[in-house]
Amino acid sequence: MHIPDGFLDMNIAVVYYVLTAIVIGICIYKIKKDGIDEKRVPIAGLVAAGIFAAQMLNWPIPGGTSAHFVGGAVAAIILGPFLGCIAMTSVITIQALVFGDGGITALGTNLFSMAIVDVFVAYYIYRALSKKNTKIAAFVAGWIGITLGAINTGIATGLSSTFQYSIGTTVPIMGIWHGALGIIEGLITVSIVAYIEKNRGDILYNSNKGKTMAKGEKR
Amino acid sequence: MNFKNFIMEHKQAFLVIFVAILLSPLFAIAADVVGYSEPLEKSAEHLGAEENPIYGGILPDYSVPGIDSPAGTFLAGLVGSAVTLIIMLGITMAIKGRNN
Repeated sequence: MHIPDGFLDMNIAVVYYVLTAIVIGICIYKIKKDGIDEKRVPIAGLVAAGIFAAQMLNWPIPGGTSAHFVGGAVAAIILGPFLGCIAMTSVITIQALVFGDGGITALGTNLFSMAIVDVFVAYYIYRALSKKNTKIAAFVAGWIGITLGAINTGIATGLSSTFQYSIGTTVPIMGIWHGALGIIEGLITVSIVAYIEKNRGDILYNSNKGKTMAKGEKR
Repeated sequence: MNFKNFIMEHKQAFLVIFVAILLSPLFAIAADVVGYSEPLEKSAEHLGAEENPIYGGILPDYSVPGIDSPAGTFLAGLVGSAVTLIIMLGITMAIKGRNN
């Protein structure tokens, strides 16, 4: 889902850079406003590092269409949407700058798909469904988050000249394939969230206790 | 924050991350065998779009130039996770500031 350089028209790339910068700015503002507990700092670092490592595991699916775990839902559920967005932003920016994964011109668009759409969609799905069942909520959050992120990638490429402005082709290809592969994302998300819930439930983000706080903390 | 305490307090998380990095060369080899191809690449192929790389990165494609593939992938994973950890800790502390 990492768009390389050369796929996007420059005006599309610029629009996404601006949108992404605005959302990241809002995230920083919200985190500052709500405050971060001292204990959240190492957890934020470890979640980002863990997502980086997990993204290196490419699932080999016979038949030639593969993907890897992205992790926006995991970041959103553990860190909340604002700090989760910042964690995904660190991972994706390092991938582009250090490893050449995802283009420099496409960075704004890639951040919008994986650090914004994936994270915020997953967060609100999880929040809505977790009242009934946290496991189903985590699965659906991982699945739909990644699928909508991929659809954004389809929109951005489909609006560009190198893709012949074929948004009617790129969106279905991205949506259907990642919709299918997203089931694996959902399963990994639910495994991680269920494990943390059982062993370290205190580190999961709780929206009732301030935006960047965890369950065990006081304001 | 004391570095040793940080590792000891979160040793399980460090272990999970280390195991993922340790396994990454295996996944890279397996993905190579089946012909790893993401949907975006399929979409590009279908419409004849071509990449135009302008920057390869310091460790291009999660490898270390001059080191054979599995060891290079492992080292790239180790460096990447460490850099991500440090950067995210730095950003979070910077946003947090001194006052809250």
